[in-house]
Amino acid sequence: MSDIDVGLMRGTLDLLILKALSWGPRHGYGVADWIEVATSATLLVGEGTLYPALHRLERQGWVEADWGLSENNRHAKFYRLSRTGRAQLHTGASTWHQFVEAASRALRTTTAPQQT
Amino acid sequence: MTDRASRRLVFRLGEGAKHVERDVDQELAFHVEMRTRKLIAAGLDPDAARERAIEQFGDLRAVRAECVDIDYGKERAVRRTNYLSDLRQDVLYALRAMRQNAGFTAVVLLTLALGIGANTSTFTLIDALLLRTLPVPNPERLVTVGNPARTGGLSEGSPRNDIVSYPVFADVRDQTHTLSGMYASGRMDRLDVLVDKGQAEAEHPHGRFVSATFFSVLGVPAVAGRTFTPDEDRIPAGAPVAVISYGYWQSRFAGVRSAVGRTISVNGVPLTIVGVAPAAFAGDIVGQRMDLWVPIMEQPALMPNSPSLTDRSISWLLIMGRRAPGVSLAQARTEIRAIENRSILDHASAGERVSVQSGLRQSPAQVESGARGFSYYRHLFAAPLYILMAAVGVVLLIVCANLANLMLARAAARGREIGVRMALGAGRLRLVQQLLTESVLLALVGGALGALLAVWGSSALIALTGGVALDARMDGRVLAFTALLALATAIIFGLVPALRATRVELATVLRAQGRGVSSAERGTGKLGLGKVLVIAQVALSVLLLVGTGMLVRSMQRLQGSDIGVARNQLLLVSVDAERAGYKDARLASIMRDLTARATRIPGVESVTLSENGIFSGTESGTNMQVEGFTASTDADTSIAYDDVGPAYFHTIGAHLLQGRDFEARDNESGQKVAVLNETAAKFFFPHGGALGAHVTSDSATSEIVGIVSDVEEQSLRADPMRRVYFSTFQMRNMPGRFSLEVRSAGDPGSLTEIVRRSLASADPSLALRVQSLPDLIQESIAQDRLLARVVSVFGMLALALAALGLYGVMTYATTRRTSEFGLRMALGAEPGDVTRLVLGEAMLLVAGGVIIGMPAALAAVRLLRSQLYDVALLDAPSIVAALVVLGSSAALAGYLPARRAARVGPLVALRES
Repeated sequence: MSDIDVGLMRGTLDLLILKALSWGPRHGYGVADWIEVATSATLLVGEGTLYPALHRLERQGWVEADWGLSENNRHAKFYRLSRTGRAQLHTGASTWHQFVEAASRALRTTTAPQQT
Repeated sequence: MTDRASRRLVFRLGEGAKHVERDVDQELAFHVEMRTRKLIAAGLDPDAARERAIEQFGDLRAVRAECVDIDYGKERAVRRTNYLSDLRQDVLYALRAMRQNAGFTAVVLLTLALGIGANTSTFTLIDALLLRTLPVPNPERLVTVGNPARTGGLSEGSPRNDIVSYPVFADVRDQTHTLSGMYASGRMDRLDVLVDKGQAEAEHPHGRFVSATFFSVLGVPAVAGRTFTPDEDRIPAGAPVAVISYGYWQSRFAGVRSAVGRTISVNGVPLTIVGVAPAAFAGDIVGQRMDLWVPIMEQPALMPNSPSLTDRSISWLLIMGRRAPGVSLAQARTEIRAIENRSILDHASAGERVSVQSGLRQSPAQVESGARGFSYYRHLFAAPLYILMAAVGVVLLIVCANLANLMLARAAARGREIGVRMALGAGRLRLVQQLLTESVLLALVGGALGALLAVWGSSALIALTGGVALDARMDGRVLAFTALLALATAIIFGLVPALRATRVELATVLRAQGRGVSSAERGTGKLGLGKVLVIAQVALSVLLLVGTGMLVRSMQRLQGSDIGVARNQLLLVSVDAERAGYKDARLASIMRDLTARATRIPGVESVTLSENGIFSGTESGTNMQVEGFTASTDADTSIAYDDVGPAYFHTIGAHLLQGRDFEARDNESGQKVAVLNETAAKFFFPHGGALGAHVTSDSATSEIVGIVSDVEEQSLRADPMRRVYFSTFQMRNMPGRFSLEVRSAGDPGSLTEIVRRSLASADPSLALRVQSLPDLIQESIAQDRLLARVVSVFGMLALALAALGLYGVMTYATTRRTSEFGLRMALGAEPGDVTRLVLGEAMLLVAGGVIIGMPAALAAVRLLRSQLYDVALLDAPSIVAALVVLGSSAALAGYLPARRAARVGPLVALRES
């Protein structure tokens, strides 16, 4: 992937994180795991990039974090969706859909545009 | 989960910044560990799995740095928000608490307002008189030449440099290179001013002779009209103009524009008002009201009989200059001293030269910064004001101790609330901050009230100074002082109780039924903080009360001291016959006429006259050769003198030790005679034999015919100096301005009016001023009275506060021990036993305070030494009085709660617990 895609990628990653948390609190590894599975490992190049995104979302107040115990009894930082985060997921997802649909429609076009 | 987690968050935020990095590390490590596990589960061996996990993660270091960065940003934002919301919450909480306890709040605010108001009032005076610079551009470049306290100085005789003659001033003006501009400023005698045509009675505004450069050197423009022009500095009697002050313009001319251009009559000379000085500018003399300035060139016109512009023996001017750019004060000083010395020495007669030279070497001219202007009162009131400042500082400390006690009681009452909040996880720092917010809020409101009080207080203080004219406005410095004082006060009275209140043992508090018990109440050992504070208050009160006692006694001594004259029976009439044109034989005859007229008034016992008068503020000095006495230094020949009329010593009530009083025969044709005072007689004739010896002064030789006891002529405090008296009628130049001393049978004040009328009937053009000696003496000790009265007021305030503090602590202590007393009484103790028990404890506290306070007081009164008159530093009556007053107030403050404790029946007491 080239540099021009960073904005799109970041927005997409944020949306995926919010989506991952929409079923309840998860720790960072859990989020990474879900995204990997859900996207068939196409999106996350380095798993680490997930974490700055998570912390940024936390600072923005879209997710909240607490420390808790993991399934194997380890200290882990759990993230959950805040009210504004949930709202953001809704509007973000629909915007994304419109965008992607418009973009893919355009990309699938086979006939050349008519000259005016 | 959510509840637990959010509570934890509160804790974590308090942990500081370190946890940010730790948390990120922990989170990332957890991820890598989980991934490794999964890979192992998928069949990789542990080392390979870990390597793979890290590889999959990506740039661990960069991710970590980015996360830490984001979290720090978040942390800062959270902190800021938390702080602001905490502060808002604290303020609201404090306001609610203040409203809920309106009585408590009122008491606290009133006490604070009194304490801070007293300090601000005193500081306002210190600021106005001692600290503030003149309201002119670049005051720091001004320099004064001469003694800045001698604003009313006038000396005839040997040339001087504390005040200078006009020719000396002119030499400095013409020769200096270190000053870019300078002016001279000199006293005016009483002015007789007629503003309106046909005005019958002259008025007497305050004025000063100044060089025409006065306003330009200071950099003060006129608000209406103009200031002086250089021409008005050239021709004697050629500048018939005046500039009036803004205050005089407003009060006498109603501030109308047409005042400029008006001509008024000053001492019979028409002067045109050419301008008005700005409102902020009250002149170069701090503490004295100024109505008008007249060019010094008009002096010969206004005072025709005093050759003050030409005579080198008349010293009367102070000099103010502005340093030229790049010139230091030291450079200016060196140059000006050299010019003055040359100017004085060049004109000294051959006989004087050596003594003048040694005089100049011993006391060279004072050249100092002139930023704060000249002031007679600054010198006089500096020590009293600083002492007063110390006294009100002590009062404020007592206020702090009192309030600390109140806050302590308050905090104790809230002990359970505080305990519960701490159990719920509120940090101690947070609670201290909250309690302090309340103190600061109280102190700021109290300080604002105090500042308002000080507006009144400082003018009251100024009124007590008796005649000092000060602009007591609150400038930035005064307000900053007040604000700092309020904050310091809040921290002193708020911090310790807050720390104490939050030092709570949770278990104890939560176990206690209904009422909290903090360590503050239980105190450290037997002595609670509250009691320590009461002891401190008592100790500070002792300090103030002993000081008060000594100042009051010094005051009484001053008022009743034997000054060698009949101080309660004398009336002084100052007469200016010079202006009315009396000279020589006519002068002698009007002197005799006035004396005779006054003698005929019923109630007058006898009348005499003298040149200087008593407590008139004027003194004369001369050099005198004494037959049979060899002067070893020049100073030995100098002596104070006065020339007086017949029966002088009898009239003023001085005791003649040897020989005779002046008599009618000591007139123009009689043999010249002199009387020495005791100090002079002992100095010149240590072995006796003064009577019949001759003295020579001013080329006239007189025979000594009497020796009289020392008389304090001008000040109660001055050490007696050598003094010689001559007969007025035998003087070569009889004084045109003199004083009549009228001895009354009763209160001299009651004769004032009749004496004035009777004397005025001799010649209405004579300028007369009649004052009783008691009034004059009172004026001369204005600063003593100020100090004694004000310190008394504050001493009483301190006493009241300390008694209140004791009352509060004892009441609180007895209430808490109700059950103990009940038990004691149930076991057979009488009510009297309980009263004695409580009262005994109260007196123990007082005794503690006295033991600490007394040595402190004895050390502190050393500071008063300069202010005390005839009172020993270890003054038993003052100490006893302080102890009696303190003891009885304390007994009362302790007795009320003691009686209440004794009245509680055993059953009531036991039921309550």
